[in-house]
Amino acid sequence: MKIVVCVKHVAVLGDEIRFTTDERDVDEDYYDRTLNEWDACAAEEALRIRERLGGEGEVLVVTVGGPSADVALQRCLAMGADRAVRISFDQTVHDPIAIGHALSEAIVPEQPDLVLVGVQSSDSVQGSTGTALAQFLDLPRVAVVKKVEYDHATRRATCHRELEGGLVDVVEVDTPAVLAIQTGINEPRYPTFRAIKDAERKEISLVSAAGGAVSGYHVRRMFVPPKPEGAEMLDGGPADVARRIAEIVKERLA
Amino acid sequence: MARDPKHDVLFEPIRIGPKTLRNRFYQVPHCNGAGSEKPNAQAWNRAMRAEGGWGASCTEYCSIHPESDDTMRISARLWDEDDVRNLSLMCDKLHEHGALAGVELWYGGAHAPCMESRCVPRAPSQLPSDFEHLTYPKEMDKDDIREVQGFYVAAARRARSAGFDIVYVYGSHSYLPQQFLTPFYNKRTDEYGGSFENRARFWRETIEQVREAVGDDCAIAVRISTDMFMGEIGTQLERDALPFVELVDNLVDLWDVNVSGISEWGEDATPSRFYESGRQLPWQGRVKQVTKKPVVGVGRFTSADVMAEAIRSGKLDIIGACRPSISDPFLPTKISEGRYDDIRECIGCNICVSRWEIGGPPAVCTQNATFMEEYRRGWHPEKFTKAENADNDVLVVGAGPAGMECAMILGKRGMRRVHLLEAEKEMGGIMRWIPLLPGLGEWARVVNYRKIQIDKLKNVELIPSTRADANAVLKYGAEIVVIATGAYWATNGLNGATSEPIPGADASLPHVLTPEQIMVGGKEIPGERVVILDNDGYFMGVSLAEKLATEGKQVTLLTHLGEVAPYMKFTLELPNMLRKLHSLHVNIVTHAMLQSIEPGRAVSYHVFDPEHLTEWDADAVVLITQRRSNEALYRELKDLGTDALRSEGIIGLYRIGDCLAPRMVADCVFDGHRLAREIDSPDPAVPKPFLRDRKVIELLRA
Ligand SMILES: Cc1cc2nc3c(=O)[nH]c(=O)nc-3n(C[C@H](O)[C@H](O)[C@H](O)COP(=O)(O)O)c2cc1C
Repeated sequence: MKIVVCVKHVAVLGDEIRFTTDERDVDEDYYDRTLNEWDACAAEEALRIRERLGGEGEVLVVTVGGPSADVALQRCLAMGADRAVRISFDQTVHDPIAIGHALSEAIVPEQPDLVLVGVQSSDSVQGSTGTALAQFLDLPRVAVVKKVEYDHATRRATCHRELEGGLVDVVEVDTPAVLAIQTGINEPRYPTFRAIKDAERKEISLVSAAGGAVSGYHVRRMFVPPKPEGAEMLDGGPADVARRIAEIVKERLA
Repeated sequence: MARDPKHDVLFEPIRIGPKTLRNRFYQVPHCNGAGSEKPNAQAWNRAMRAEGGWGASCTEYCSIHPESDDTMRISARLWDEDDVRNLSLMCDKLHEHGALAGVELWYGGAHAPCMESRCVPRAPSQLPSDFEHLTYPKEMDKDDIREVQGFYVAAARRARSAGFDIVYVYGSHSYLPQQFLTPFYNKRTDEYGGSFENRARFWRETIEQVREAVGDDCAIAVRISTDMFMGEIGTQLERDALPFVELVDNLVDLWDVNVSGISEWGEDATPSRFYESGRQLPWQGRVKQVTKKPVVGVGRFTSADVMAEAIRSGKLDIIGACRPSISDPFLPTKISEGRYDDIRECIGCNICVSRWEIGGPPAVCTQNATFMEEYRRGWHPEKFTKAENADNDVLVVGAGPAGMECAMILGKRGMRRVHLLEAEKEMGGIMRWIPLLPGLGEWARVVNYRKIQIDKLKNVELIPSTRADANAVLKYGAEIVVIATGAYWATNGLNGATSEPIPGADASLPHVLTPEQIMVGGKEIPGERVVILDNDGYFMGVSLAEKLATEGKQVTLLTHLGEVAPYMKFTLELPNMLRKLHSLHVNIVTHAMLQSIEPGRAVSYHVFDPEHLTEWDADAVVLITQRRSNEALYRELKDLGTDALRSEGIIGLYRIGDCLAPRMVADCVFDGHRLAREIDSPDPAVPKPFLRDRKVIELLRA
């Protein structure tokens, strides 16, 4: 039993940001890196699936990026993952298709039973890396999963998908399959210092991806959009502001 | 983030007579417990405000003569050349930081008990003080008036030589000039009493003389109360204050406008329980309409938007602040740099005031543990040294006020990793639910500020929804463990009055309840008739009485004390609290202690006549008797012994806050802060000695 979890070290912006000189990205000095929230849930779910199977099997975390991506892997190792692989990748374009392709190169030789990914990343919010990955792995994929029951004997996973209006879509899928995990499926565990220290001693294997995927898109320019006009800012204490709002509402209704 | 341009008005310099204020942030006169006799504490405390960006910082009320001696409370003093020397340190330090130094010349009249000097204060009429019990003044004749005016002039000259830029002739909070102006204190029939012109005469002449003496060198400021909220007999805005402003406008360089007298000065230093920020603006705005001189005014201003609006709308020229500058000495700098969410906002609890009211001790602040520790412990509110043992990982168990503060400061001191473990989903501890009591919403700022700071600290992580037992702590992998698990209200009626539980008191029964059960436990209060027993004497009893009465219960509030919530007298909350409880028909019974509780019934006795019993029909009894530390976890760990802890890598085990002994929130925050500041001292459990501003005698040896 082997579960691969794909994770990303997302950028967390500070109060102030600057763009790189080519205006195509945020300057690295203006953000921190952390494990993507959706991926933390995916890692947690992988650990729980393994626990439900009596602790047998391996949880492998994979990411794409430079040394700054190690924070995400280390967090998963501290949570209890067994092994971590970082795919170094010098292609300049980091779109979901290129990333999905690089991930697939590292995942194929592992022959996993399940591949878990997060629904989306909090920084670029593409929501499509998992889909691209499934395509390159030629595996079925289930989107926006809020509950997983995996039966190792039949190699089938029953996934609950949350739909609008509280509807639940129950999907049965033959594995291996790629499952895109939604937040709320679980509360990711918090590693203790001991687990963090142990994780720091575990090695992260480095592999390089051949690349070669055709990139789907191209960032032209990043900028802070100008403040939209037409908004009236109300100054003053809560009572003043409340009074003004009441007046405005009355004016507009009149 | 850059500063919002709409706040730029706060940074425009402004002339005050012969001086220039560099911006619109002005720390008004307020006590801190230092006076002239702890000159280092005084100077360092005010200088921190200057460093934090305030354009001016003032002394507290500053006595001009031994006849105006407020002992046991601590005022500054300018009685002689030694006082000049002591206060000059404050002036020098303010000037180093580019701020103006102000001094508030004060003569207390009937309100100065003169317990140290044993002088007799003088006042317009012989009426005992409505503030300082059993103090009578001598009624002034014309010679007295001349003499006291002479005290003002002499003190103003001393103020100038100490280096003060702004000299106040203070006529607010019912002190001497206001006493002359106000019929409540002034019953005279000579030319110093009666008509407005006569009642204004003493103050006008005094300002003239002070201006004549030092007006070329110093700005002359007047602090004026514009309303005493007592009708005709008190100071009134239109009848007294505005005409006075017009009368002497040409003699004054700065108007410092507020409201209230002394016996209810909570109308000025407003508790957040009753008033929101900016509540004095209507009065200040009226003065602004009649004067040509700049107006500074207070209003517990913590929001840059509200401040900028007060100036733009023409109600104030300068933002005055007392408590907001205590809570965050760096408020101006933070606004200037657009760091709005770093502002540590005053919660309006008035713990600072309580220390002055009690008399003597250094003032403290719930939000700012470094307040008055600038000199004696060398604490800077914004600067932290890297801990010498920063390569350690620290586990803080319990995210209440002490735990949050400790984790935050440890983070700022660069510890490798700090985990703040919390059983609940959110941090806050008791401060998750205390702000849900009526009127205490702003107290949640204690949590909000720390939450935002902790969020920004990369080395501090909240571990929510996690309850650790001793084994989990042991195996956690921390080198340093801090237990901050708080306290709980006794469930069996144990109390300090009888030091025994109360028969029948058992909060596992449906009709007996504790504050936590009501506020967070979801326990239903049976029936209509509720008896609350308050042996605590601060806010919990009256707050629950207000809450339950508002919810429609018939509330009887019993206390063994002679007065309900006596500590709230010190926080200036009591008068309005009593008004509120009265309007809600809460039945307050003092000197009463519960003898027994049964379903449907409680029996109390008079503490000075134990045979005198009263039976209460009580569907529910709420016990506010005493708190006990949640110390089981700490004890279990400690009992394992140092060797067992060391074998798991734990080299330090400490406890802080209510877990050590139940205290006020300010003390718990201090405790957490203190441990974090001294985490690399030889024995962090024991506070390091602090510098004492005292006179050390030189012994002459034969
Ligand atoms: C601890 C404390 C001490 C004070 N001492 C003085 C004083 O010595 N002289 C004075 O004129 N006002 C004094 N005040 C009143 C303040 O100057 C101010 O008018 C009041 O606190 C309202 O301002 P704020 O809302 O900015 O706190 C004191 C207030 C506090 C909280």
